[in-house]
Amino acid sequence: MPAHRAIGPVIVSPGCRLERPTLLAALLLLVMLPAALAWGDAEVRTDKVTARLVAERTRVAPGESLDLALVLNLRPGWHTYWRNPGDSGEPPRLVWDLPEGVEVGPMRWPYPSLIRVGPLANYGYSEQAVHPIALSVPADWPVGQALPLRARADWLVCEEHCIPEGGDLDLTLEVVTPADGAQDSGTAAPEIAKARTRLPQDPIAGATLIRTGTGIRLQVPAADLPEGFNSAWFFSDRWGQIDHAAPQPRRLEGGQLRLDLIPGSAPQANLSGLLVVEAGGVTRGYPVEAASAPAGTGVAAADLGLPLALLFALVGGLILNLMPCVFPILAMKALSLAGQGGANRRDRTLHALAYAGGVLTFFALIAALLLGLRAGGQAVGWGFQLQYPPFVALMAYLFLVLGLSLAGAVTLGARVMGLAAAGPTTGVGGAFATGALAALVAAPCTAPFMGAALGYAATLAWPAALAVILCLGLGLALPFVVLSLVPALARRLPRPGPWMDGLKQFLAYPMFATAAWLVWVLSVQVGPPGVAAVLAGMVLLALGLWAWEGARGRSGRQRGLGLGVAWAGVGLALGLGLTLGTGTPGPDAPAVARTTGPAAEPFSAGRLAQALGEGRPVLVNMTAAWCITCLVNERVALERPAVAEALARRGVLYLKGDWTRRDPAITTYLAEFGRNGVPLYVWYPRPDAPQVLPQILTEGGLLAALEGPRGE
Amino acid sequence: MTQIQRRLTQALQGLVIAAAALGGIAQADPQVGKPAPAFSVSDTTGKTWTLKDLAGRTAVLEWTNHDCPFVRKHYGAGNMQALQKEAAGQGVLWLSVISSAPGKQGHVSPAEADALTKSRGAAPTAVLLDETGAMGRAYAARTTPHLYIVGPDGTLSYMGGIDDRATPDPADIPGAKPYVRAALADLAAGRPVAEAVTRPYGCSVKY
Repeated sequence: MPAHRAIGPVIVSPGCRLERPTLLAALLLLVMLPAALAWGDAEVRTDKVTARLVAERTRVAPGESLDLALVLNLRPGWHTYWRNPGDSGEPPRLVWDLPEGVEVGPMRWPYPSLIRVGPLANYGYSEQAVHPIALSVPADWPVGQALPLRARADWLVCEEHCIPEGGDLDLTLEVVTPADGAQDSGTAAPEIAKARTRLPQDPIAGATLIRTGTGIRLQVPAADLPEGFNSAWFFSDRWGQIDHAAPQPRRLEGGQLRLDLIPGSAPQANLSGLLVVEAGGVTRGYPVEAASAPAGTGVAAADLGLPLALLFALVGGLILNLMPCVFPILAMKALSLAGQGGANRRDRTLHALAYAGGVLTFFALIAALLLGLRAGGQAVGWGFQLQYPPFVALMAYLFLVLGLSLAGAVTLGARVMGLAAAGPTTGVGGAFATGALAALVAAPCTAPFMGAALGYAATLAWPAALAVILCLGLGLALPFVVLSLVPALARRLPRPGPWMDGLKQFLAYPMFATAAWLVWVLSVQVGPPGVAAVLAGMVLLALGLWAWEGARGRSGRQRGLGLGVAWAGVGLALGLGLTLGTGTPGPDAPAVARTTGPAAEPFSAGRLAQALGEGRPVLVNMTAAWCITCLVNERVALERPAVAEALARRGVLYLKGDWTRRDPAITTYLAEFGRNGVPLYVWYPRPDAPQVLPQILTEGGLLAALEGPRGE
Repeated sequence: MTQIQRRLTQALQGLVIAAAALGGIAQADPQVGKPAPAFSVSDTTGKTWTLKDLAGRTAVLEWTNHDCPFVRKHYGAGNMQALQKEAAGQGVLWLSVISSAPGKQGHVSPAEADALTKSRGAAPTAVLLDETGAMGRAYAARTTPHLYIVGPDGTLSYMGGIDDRATPDPADIPGAKPYVRAALADLAAGRPVAEAVTRPYGCSVKY
């Protein structure tokens, strides 16, 4: 096809066709007889396009505003482009030549259609493109003087191949008194009115953009869209944001329209464009500006209503009281309470409230941190604090001190736990500290039980998210508060006695076990040097505490020496703990993936998509060294020979994601399933039928799932 | 709980169908900073070129279609030829790639391709005839022209337009920001490419 610039023979409307040699004559006519053309417009006819500049009224009054339009009538099969042309092409352009004082607005863009070209896609217009343009007639334009509007138009018109075309467009309006103008409506009025209905509607607010394992998801509140729509397509404003040609599978769920998109070559944090929706035969375009949402705005999450999430949180909090790391503290606290049977009601209430206040304060702090990080765009999940080695080290120190205190080696921790307090009156501060301590040690244990509710919380606006997290705290605080407030219950507890010392000393061992476990977590996070540092820190800490104890009740130099050793020990220990590298492990390979059991590949979204594309069954295991449930599941189910054999027999790809350290890819994957913590087990018997397995696995249950029918 | 889980599964099905359907596309898209996609395509002399043949040299891949107005803009004004000669002067390989399918616009025989090179005074190292579009799809080439630069270590270092003026008008060449020239200069100086992904513009590749 000829691809030269084809500025066609000019036709002066209406109807009389002029050949090229007479072009000059036509132009002369235009110049000499403006009055005769006051009602009209000129069109440019090229090989593929007839272009016109039109106005909704050809008689206008000074000071009036109205719409002009660039109209391109296209040969069948040819198209011109939207402002983002898509994979190829170029939008039309206008360069105006206007009389002084006359102003026009920018070209406006009715919603486009998707025009597929082989594996590519363009955004554009077929048959006809009408681009409205606002015009303001100057208030001081003399009545009776014609208003000439000229523009140079250039456009690219394509079928499969493309031709750049263009031409000079003219339109002359007659300027009349307002009374005369009102009676007129030009022949182009219906065309422009129709185009206006296709212009962008009011923008839809509240759209969000979520990164998923395989792409991005645009969520638009459905309440602002027409009811019962049949189709929806998102047209990106700019090149590079999305893959223009990729299908856009959509779902309407939880009051949100969800479109799954594939990112383009230069994706950005935010996505803007036009959502074109058809309902009842009427198509409309809605501007959408989607801000990146934090991870956690998953599919399942929205299924869990707020009341249910609050209930889950409360129950989860209650369960936390039984955690091996929390129970000893509370048990001792409760028993000491039993000894205070005689305390008056006011003191007991104060005590209970202080304790609950401590718990809730800690949970509010965690929530503030979580929500703050989320607002900062960080992809964090519940239990995230354990992904920072210094935090893990400090927790190990804490459990060591608690253990030493329970064992009776030091009395420092005991005071915090309220064990040493003689009565409730001295214990208000202590009760607050106990509450905060219980919450601190309980936080890591929440993920396995609270995955769903916390995942849901992470998707909510901050007041609701805060409510869910505080409900969790309330659940944790509740048993002790009830015991405190109802003396009848407290009286049913065993009487304090010498046996309590035995129990107390026994309960030191769960504390030591927890400390040992945390050191192992550190070994995964920072390798042998980190373990050496934290073990040295623990020894120094113990030495420091012993010196502290020794300094009590002494005076002078001995006391000074003791306190010096104590401060040095504690200071050195803290220094060692806090300077642990953040997330720079010794070995590169994920440590958790190195454990025995069936051969696992490290998780990556690409590997998952690839295997699913091949139709291969996949088992995804999201785990972390600090997740006890995960490790138990590995032992009792995932690493059993029968499971390994079943995986091998079915040719299952076993993907393991290690969340011990921060990994946004895993956080994103968790979010897709509405989770905000590990463990998460997903079994894909077929690519289109993933099953989320329970968080507590059994060998039999896992085998039943693996051996089950290939999908349903 | 079971009802929630069932709804969850249903909800995920749609997502995963989409993911599986699109997996191929998503995987295929090359990324700057990652190894360039492999290819194996014959040039006009019948010699087969693969990614390995580029090892140790910087190479420019230029998708082209002589009938596309955007390609004519740059060849008509001598801009593409000048860039090719500059590249050759720096020891950079230049492969022009024609991914037009037989019967589609821009498809040429080896002899026609050589004649075009001669008549336009072009200076590519070779012209690759990618009739099946396999190489074009591997690189996700969308437009003519669409340019890629592969570093000496086989890393994709640039992909996008020849410059930033997305028009077919040769008058726009002098004021345009020459992305490819700038990227080659960055690579020659051992700097990271400042603008490594830009919008390719032009006609669609006629797969």
